[in-house]
Amino acid sequence: MILAWLIILLMVGGILAWIAGRFNANFARWIALLTTLASFLISISLWLNNPTTTVKATNWMMRYEVPWVPQWGVSFSLALDGLSLLMLLLTFFLGLLSILVSWREIKTKVGFFHFNILWVLAGISGVFLTMDLFLFYFFWEVMLIPMYFLIGIWGHANRMYAAYKFFIFTQASGLLMLLSILGLYFIHGSNTGSYTFNYFDLLGTTFPPAIGPWLMAGFLMAFLVKLPVVPFHSWLPDAHSEAPTAGSVILAGLLLKTGAYGLLRFVIPLFPEAAQAFAPWAMLLGVVGILYGAILAFSQTDLKRLIAYTSVSHMGFVILGVFSFNEWAFQGVVMQMITHGISTGALFIMAGFLYERLHTRDIRQMGGFWPAIPRMGVFASIFAMASLGLPGLGNFIAEFLTLVGSWQANNLLTIFATIGLVAATAYSLRILQKVFLGKNKAEHPLTDLSLREMSIALPLVVAILWLGLYPQPVLDRAKPSVDEQLEAYKKPTIKPEIPAQVTLQTLPADTVRLLNTKGGIHALK
Amino acid sequence: MNEIPEVIRTIPLQYYLFFSSTLFVIGIIGVLTRRNAIIIFMCIELMLNAVNLLLTAFSAYRSDANGQVFVFFIMAVAAAEVCVGLAIIVMIYRNLRSTDINILSNLKW
Amino acid sequence: MRLSDLYFLMPLLILVGAATLNMLVVAVKRNHKVIFGITIVAHLVAVFTLLQLNGSSYQIPPFFVMDGWGIFNLGLILLTSLFVTLLSYAYFEQREERKEEYYLLLILATLGACVLVISQHFMALFLGLEILSVALYSLIAYLRTRERSDEAGIKYLILAALSSAFLLFGMALVYAVTGTMSFPEIGVYLQSVSELPLLLLTGFGLMIVGIGFKLGIVPFHMWAPDVYEGAPAPVTAFIATVSKGGMMGLLIRFFSQADAYRYANLMLIFTIIAIASMLAGNLLALRQKNIKRLLAYSSIAHLGYILVAFLAGNRLGVEAVSFYLVAYFITSLGAFGVVALLSDTERDADQLEDYRGLFWRRPATAAVFTAMLLSLAGIPLTAGFVGKFYILASGVNTQQWLLVLMLVLNSVIGLYYYIKVIAAMFAQTKSVQERRKVLHPALSFASGGAMAILGLLLIWIGVYPTSLVQLIRGLLATFMTTF
Repeated sequence: MILAWLIILLMVGGILAWIAGRFNANFARWIALLTTLASFLISISLWLNNPTTTVKATNWMMRYEVPWVPQWGVSFSLALDGLSLLMLLLTFFLGLLSILVSWREIKTKVGFFHFNILWVLAGISGVFLTMDLFLFYFFWEVMLIPMYFLIGIWGHANRMYAAYKFFIFTQASGLLMLLSILGLYFIHGSNTGSYTFNYFDLLGTTFPPAIGPWLMAGFLMAFLVKLPVVPFHSWLPDAHSEAPTAGSVILAGLLLKTGAYGLLRFVIPLFPEAAQAFAPWAMLLGVVGILYGAILAFSQTDLKRLIAYTSVSHMGFVILGVFSFNEWAFQGVVMQMITHGISTGALFIMAGFLYERLHTRDIRQMGGFWPAIPRMGVFASIFAMASLGLPGLGNFIAEFLTLVGSWQANNLLTIFATIGLVAATAYSLRILQKVFLGKNKAEHPLTDLSLREMSIALPLVVAILWLGLYPQPVLDRAKPSVDEQLEAYKKPTIKPEIPAQVTLQTLPADTVRLLNTKGGIHALK
Repeated sequence: MNEIPEVIRTIPLQYYLFFSSTLFVIGIIGVLTRRNAIIIFMCIELMLNAVNLLLTAFSAYRSDANGQVFVFFIMAVAAAEVCVGLAIIVMIYRNLRSTDINILSNLKW
Repeated sequence: MRLSDLYFLMPLLILVGAATLNMLVVAVKRNHKVIFGITIVAHLVAVFTLLQLNGSSYQIPPFFVMDGWGIFNLGLILLTSLFVTLLSYAYFEQREERKEEYYLLLILATLGACVLVISQHFMALFLGLEILSVALYSLIAYLRTRERSDEAGIKYLILAALSSAFLLFGMALVYAVTGTMSFPEIGVYLQSVSELPLLLLTGFGLMIVGIGFKLGIVPFHMWAPDVYEGAPAPVTAFIATVSKGGMMGLLIRFFSQADAYRYANLMLIFTIIAIASMLAGNLLALRQKNIKRLLAYSSIAHLGYILVAFLAGNRLGVEAVSFYLVAYFITSLGAFGVVALLSDTERDADQLEDYRGLFWRRPATAAVFTAMLLSLAGIPLTAGFVGKFYILASGVNTQQWLLVLMLVLNSVIGLYYYIKVIAAMFAQTKSVQERRKVLHPALSFASGGAMAILGLLLIWIGVYPTSLVQLIRGLLATFMTTF
């Protein structure tokens, strides 16, 4: 029930903030801040109350389920495991920061702004929590509309175009996913006689071999566009660069992660055969994304656009890892989701700070700021180092694990992916060089970070350092979930040996699921 | 003196079909080509009457009263339609001093 | 004629009574409020008597049948008409024309649609259709001093009369082949033949012209944008909902009673029509600057969506159609209601410019309109999403992948122009526009209340569709026993 309250809290807080914003802008800010803080505290308490050490029968910490549209087999089903919990923490952490960042930046329609922020957060937490595919699609779409408004109303000059593009790309791909969900629903229904959208029931559905890949393709489209993977990435630079700072942070830090999360949670366990068949191509896409994003990032002159392309590059690692199907890679992916959220979010916040002072995002007009604003320089260089994967910072762990994992799956592509790390060094250092080093071109004296801005940047530094130096709690937390996603791949050698005509029908979906829940808790090491 | 249905049946059914189809098509062509609203109306009436003829013929051939009853309905409804239609045409004439429907081109794509 | 027939026809009789009463009252003394009151009460009483019939299936041979499907459609039509009436008061109050006859015509048009959905005989069909049409001619041209109004009226008149001629010719041919005009008996005849005779197929084809015209589907859609633009906003709402919904109800009754789903070539015609409607509606809507025209094209596309579910041809399909009709009715009423609400005495608020920055001027109205547009686009939290989901489900269930993919493609195209309007409403206006004179707030109470209810219904169905699904399933239980 507490899971439902998390979402309800955010939604109600959003409405309250909107109403309060009509009277006083500060009320709206405080309401939004407190609501998010409350959600953050709740998820921390969830973390503390569910220690990882206890071996339980299932890795699901809690589940909450009430029928919603029983005629269709739709239930309001939420569940929390390690992966969801980590993503929730990230969501509320970045949510808090994005509200703080907007404290001065947003001056118009403050109430409505915070309404949108809170509803995006609610949608995202819904996506991370729900275990019903209908509900998943529901939340998937719910988070888009407020995001559209965030970009379209408070964005920069070209905001309408960016908002359109973002919305149409994500909607189109989402609808394809809806088709796949329906296909899955009817296939499972005609196989077993029970029509349901419940994730746990749908796990282990067997498909006719001709249909499985198509169904997976629908899911993949939604997640790959969201991630984004290279041919579908073109909405991202526009959306990121035109969005207000808070919008960029949420986009880069959270919305992209829903794509990665979807891959892990849905594509991998639901379509084991199809996913394995597609894996080489997916890994290729990942590598192309890593290199393409890095090259384009290097050639950008718009600071936010540059950071946006680094996201494309970093998300390439995610898809590379996801389709390696091993624990190392998956742990790396989870780490990458978190650390990328933090480091890229932080870079966007830095870009926002610079924009507030200079009113431009063009790095050709920047340079030599270090003497004037040393504190910002220090912070920015930490985040840039994180982004290039310096050991000791979180991103290093993530990328290292991913590469170790993908090496086991595909040597050649991993080598190319490693080149991406080199490229990351190039573009990250270029940011520092162009903005903070060299000759000072600023006409006006710049003010260094204020106390509020420091208090935004410090937690980010702490988080990224902690993840880099002591990632074990996160890895432990993610492990059971990661194992469960991999369950379908544990016995790939046995699967083809089952004579198709004998046992397929006597193996109902339930038995496979039982195996899932029983196994997967024990440590692999 | 024969009964009317028998008289009707002295002509083969196809002839009725062809004849009323022809009338109907003439009506369509009229609606499509003429520009005067009143003439268009007359053409539509022609089409309705083609249907009436057809229904009567079928009714007679099948010795089923339904078709002829329907004809009365159609006649009554057509009259009502013309009433409203002429009222609108008069209104247009008052506004525009013309019943040429080409003048009416404010509404486009 | 039995006495119980009267009992089952009570909702219709009440409408007839209300129309007559209105006429008499107008003859004695013109009073907008009184007529408005009579109309509202008549609708409420009709709905109330309808509720008593729930769950029954009753034949009134040869013309009518009162089954679950009929009751569902009657209820939908009556409630929609009630909302149109509520929206009309403020709209017509500020106009100088004589407004009392409007309600009379509205009741008659509603009556026509009601007759349409419970008819199971060509004659009843034709009568219902013409009562609806003739009332609509005058409704469309009601604001006679407006040039566009009479132009729309004459266009609709000519095309509607033309299409009914086609319909009649088709009926005559069907009658010629089958020798009957009642749907079940046509079904019996069709059972006896293995293949459709050419004459019968021609007859069905001509009937599709007439039906397609009323539904406003491609290629019989040309009237829709013109009429939508020219007609007064509440009447536009009526055409978009009751007139189309009534015809849809009839189409489904005809197809299921005559069991015409079996014929691949008929289904093929409708498949082509559905795809063409979706594509043409959405593509032509892209370049519209006029909200009413935009909504007209969007409604063409939406009828295409409904046809996808109709083509499923099974129980799930009919459920999906029913659900979508409810969602679409609410949405259309809401959208045109906003247009009516913002209109001034000179013209309807139909330009995109009228909506620029609306959100910052009239947040509540803009919020309702946004919700309606999102529902048309099929975004979650609104009824339109659940409706679209239902249709997709029925399409996937019967594996009509082409139609389903076209639907998805078109939803995406549709998004573009719905978002365009929403974006305009949320745009910051630099210069504070001179606010056009709007109505006295007290007058728009009925409209405002209606809009609020519509908005809440939209969200309610979008978030918790269970009760509506249950209701539809219950009512369809007495309709489709064959499936």
